[in-house]
Amino acid sequence: MRRFLIIAIPLATIILFLAVMLSGNYLKQPLGKNDDIPGLIESLIKDIQDEQWEKVNQKTEELDQAWEKVVNRVQFSAERNEIQDFNVALARLKGAILEKDRLSAIMELKEAYEHWSQLCQ
Amino acid sequence: MNEGLVVFVRSIIAFFSLLIFTRIIGKEQISQLTFFDYVLGITIGSIAASLTTDLSSRAWPHWVGLITWAALGYLMEIVTLKWRYASKVLEGEPVIVIMNGKIMESALKKAKYRISDILELMRNQGVFDPNEVDFAIIESNGRLSILKKAEHLPVTRKDMNIPAQNTGISTELVYDGILIEENLRQLNKDKDWLMSELKAHGINSISEVFLVTLNPEGSIYIDKYDDHITKITDIGDYKGPF
Repeated sequence: MRRFLIIAIPLATIILFLAVMLSGNYLKQPLGKNDDIPGLIESLIKDIQDEQWEKVNQKTEELDQAWEKVVNRVQFSAERNEIQDFNVALARLKGAILEKDRLSAIMELKEAYEHWSQLCQ
Repeated sequence: MNEGLVVFVRSIIAFFSLLIFTRIIGKEQISQLTFFDYVLGITIGSIAASLTTDLSSRAWPHWVGLITWAALGYLMEIVTLKWRYASKVLEGEPVIVIMNGKIMESALKKAKYRISDILELMRNQGVFDPNEVDFAIIESNGRLSILKKAEHLPVTRKDMNIPAQNTGISTELVYDGILIEENLRQLNKDKDWLMSELKAHGINSISEVFLVTLNPEGSIYIDKYDDHITKITDIGDYKGPF
């Protein structure tokens, strides 16, 4: 039993570490309500193209909240730079929406999507 | 992102990964490490440090680096253990630098040692006169082994024909006031025997003693918590903070 534990405990520890380090790619995907980043980005692009600015404002808030949830989940396996770059893209998006600048808003959303897809890769 | 929390979790991952890997790699003492083992240790430690605090990249690539270096270190250990020739190539081999009292200049040059280094290593071993040395060998871990000339070797009991007895290793019977029954059993003794020995030294309870050891000759060492020493020798040369 003692010999088994001497092998099993380090093995279980390594498996746990691997799970923590490699879980990011799974945890960034939508798992519950209001955390579907790619879905929200796609929907935002459509609303911006249709110039539905009321909806765009509301969905940007939803995207912000969804991103916070995802960051909390992936922070142990993700790189800080991609997280910060997504935050910057989100801030720029808010500025573009304020000025109702379609072109800039879509550019920022595309960039944010790229940061999300590169997260934990 | 809570950076403090992330560093904390990554520290746990690095710490225990390092602990597990170093236990697998082996248990050579620092003094036995070759130069390559030393560099390997520093590199693995450095990777573990960046795994902990370099948040600009994921923990995973650092961990892969850590396990790769550890695995290669382990592989080298297996190779040198199984294959004598590889061991000589990878870890080096002992070099005789003084033979029959004569300094081997070419061997020194090959090992990249100056004679002043050899004299220093000799002094570290308590040899201040090269005349005393018959053989000196630089081991693969960089330490110098010295065989003194016969006339400079200390006299032994055998030279004097004095009978010697094996001293053996002492076994702990009480450690920090706690009886170690397993060791008592191994020595075919029991608690009653121990209590009678303690009583003979004026001790009534095991909890009064800090350490009790017994050597194979039957000689017992007892140290009590209460040492009754009023004047303790202070080897400090100035008054310290405590």
